[in-house]
Amino acid sequence: MSSGLLLVVLLAAVGAVAVLIRPQRASTLDFYLAGRRVGVATNACAICGDYLSAASFMGVAAAVYASGLDGMWYAAGFAAGFVPVLLFVAAPLRRFGEFSIPDFLGKRLGSDGARLTSVAVVQLVILAYLVPQAVASGIIWELAVGRGLGGLPAYTTGVLLSTAAVMLMVALGGMRGTTWTQAVQFLLLLAIFLWLVAVIAASGFSYPDALRELSSRPLANPVDDGGAWRLEPVPNRLDPGAPAFFGEPGGQYGQLEQGALIVSLAMGTAGLPHIMNRYFTSPTGTAARMTTVWVVGLAGLFYVLAGLLGIAARSIVQDASADTPWVDRLTTGGVLRVPEHAMPVLGEVFGGPAGLGAVAVGALLAVLSTIGGLLLASAASWGHDIYERYLNPRATQRQALRAGRGAVVLVAALSAALALAVPPESLSGQFPSIVATMVTWAFVLAGSALTPVFILAIWWRRTTGPGAVAGMATGTAVAVAMGAAGLLLGDAGAAQALLTPTLVSAPCAAAAAVAVSLATRPPKDVDGMWTRMHGTAADRRAVRLARLTMAGLGRRSREHRDGGRR
Amino acid sequence: MHDRHDPGPPAEEHDTPAEVDAAFRTLRRVALGHVAVFTGVLAAVPLLTGALAWWSQGRLFGGMSPMFAMTAFGLYAFFFTVCLAAATLSNAVEERMLGGPGRDAPRGDGPPAA
Repeated sequence: MSSGLLLVVLLAAVGAVAVLIRPQRASTLDFYLAGRRVGVATNACAICGDYLSAASFMGVAAAVYASGLDGMWYAAGFAAGFVPVLLFVAAPLRRFGEFSIPDFLGKRLGSDGARLTSVAVVQLVILAYLVPQAVASGIIWELAVGRGLGGLPAYTTGVLLSTAAVMLMVALGGMRGTTWTQAVQFLLLLAIFLWLVAVIAASGFSYPDALRELSSRPLANPVDDGGAWRLEPVPNRLDPGAPAFFGEPGGQYGQLEQGALIVSLAMGTAGLPHIMNRYFTSPTGTAARMTTVWVVGLAGLFYVLAGLLGIAARSIVQDASADTPWVDRLTTGGVLRVPEHAMPVLGEVFGGPAGLGAVAVGALLAVLSTIGGLLLASAASWGHDIYERYLNPRATQRQALRAGRGAVVLVAALSAALALAVPPESLSGQFPSIVATMVTWAFVLAGSALTPVFILAIWWRRTTGPGAVAGMATGTAVAVAMGAAGLLLGDAGAAQALLTPTLVSAPCAAAAAVAVSLATRPPKDVDGMWTRMHGTAADRRAVRLARLTMAGLGRRSREHRDGGRR
Repeated sequence: MHDRHDPGPPAEEHDTPAEVDAAFRTLRRVALGHVAVFTGVLAAVPLLTGALAWWSQGRLFGGMSPMFAMTAFGLYAFFFTVCLAAATLSNAVEERMLGGPGRDAPRGDGPPAA
């Protein structure tokens, strides 16, 4: 019950923040980009809140719990994604300005085709990310509260309440409200991880000793053998025939699969619309670059803690199952049948019902902050790139804002409807593996279709609109075809690598974009756009203006002080 | 009366295409150099397993092998270092090649200040 109360308070708080921080001026710049005045630390925390979904909060510890060392590569791939963002995208993207990825590509390449194609790809990526988050919110409610409101089932209540709360936050608060709630949500997630790692260490638990003990015997996980669960040794993917060990590679991936996963995650981040849109909120390109440095530091700290919790869970659950009946019911031979229960079990073992509630709140926070960013990115794409540009080019600010808010409501309703159409009982045993898997598809799509075109548009003058369209279409087609082949192959051969095909699809997209660009005419005034994107004049103007404002404020305060003395 | 430290009204900031092109080429070298180091280290962590048994089976402290320590902690420190180095260098390049202190001073046809 305390978990349920915590979740209700959380949802009410999200709605209240939206009302309190809603923008006072009615402009699309404020609604979509918080007036481009979000500071480095705030934006870094908000990007982390946006980026770290349920897949990161519960999925990383679960992956380490189930596969040991190989489970850590998921987290490494998620964190690695920001290095290409910093090196190739952050500063030039911000300096070029605009509102969204389609807006950037449309203006940079002078092409309606590039704009409309990227709107389609962006919506696909957002939907692939959004639906599993809505599903996750329903399942978290089901696990933590266990009953619905107003005669609705628990799962439906969770999906509807969380979607409504985030919809309210985004529609009223716009980017400003979303930024602040995401930043606070990330800090709460980090606090929950720090608390768990600290109480586990304070109980006398030694991470190195636990690792030595876990690595001293072959890794074995429960498998469902026609309704009867039994422990089965995990085969070593690097050395067929040999057993896998917790602290050694081979528990989950061969070298090809590992490379494919890392490339997919590392390339995907630069094409995620809800993350890239946040860079437009920085005041300058230099601030956008430094924001990424902070993000890499904060996300790295988060993933280190997630890995430690995965190690602790593997050792502690085994001991707890021997003398705690409710843990024993979740395990076979001392190992959790659903690895994603690792975090809730740790919370309950070290914090009782309040600890379980804290973990449930953390999981829901991770979901809510990600849904908020995705809804806003989708609204920017529909409201700004389609409504304002094509449907009603003479729209007033009020009409454009109404369109943006309408887009938020429609996309939220669509994602809730799709989440409700999924039978939750078929997913509850997989949660959040299904979240992590679908999120990986979003990364694959973004990394295959958007990132190569994005990097070419920023770093290669000859990129053209038709080239970008060809690149996005090729990347999407190759990624979908290879992913479908991987699904059909199931467990056979290179199926795992086919499910993360960016290693192949991104070069195909880049090759198509280059070939078609060379055969078509580049847009006019590339020099002007180059100067805007790679020059720093606008940054310097912004810094100068900020200094002037500070000097003016300082002078006014001194005059006020002197006047007071007289 | 103006404050002595008042930076004055903002001068019209601009970059010429030639300056931007030179800075762009330098920044491209910085990005490619750092991405090469990033890719090399990221690829080396799993690939060393096949070449060096100690990398995945040796023990540094407790049951932690060098590869485990690198994957669990080292990679994140490495990502942060690469990002910090690249950002610092890129900022320095831009500061030096675009809009340096000399550009802040008024230029052109006006008479020298009395």
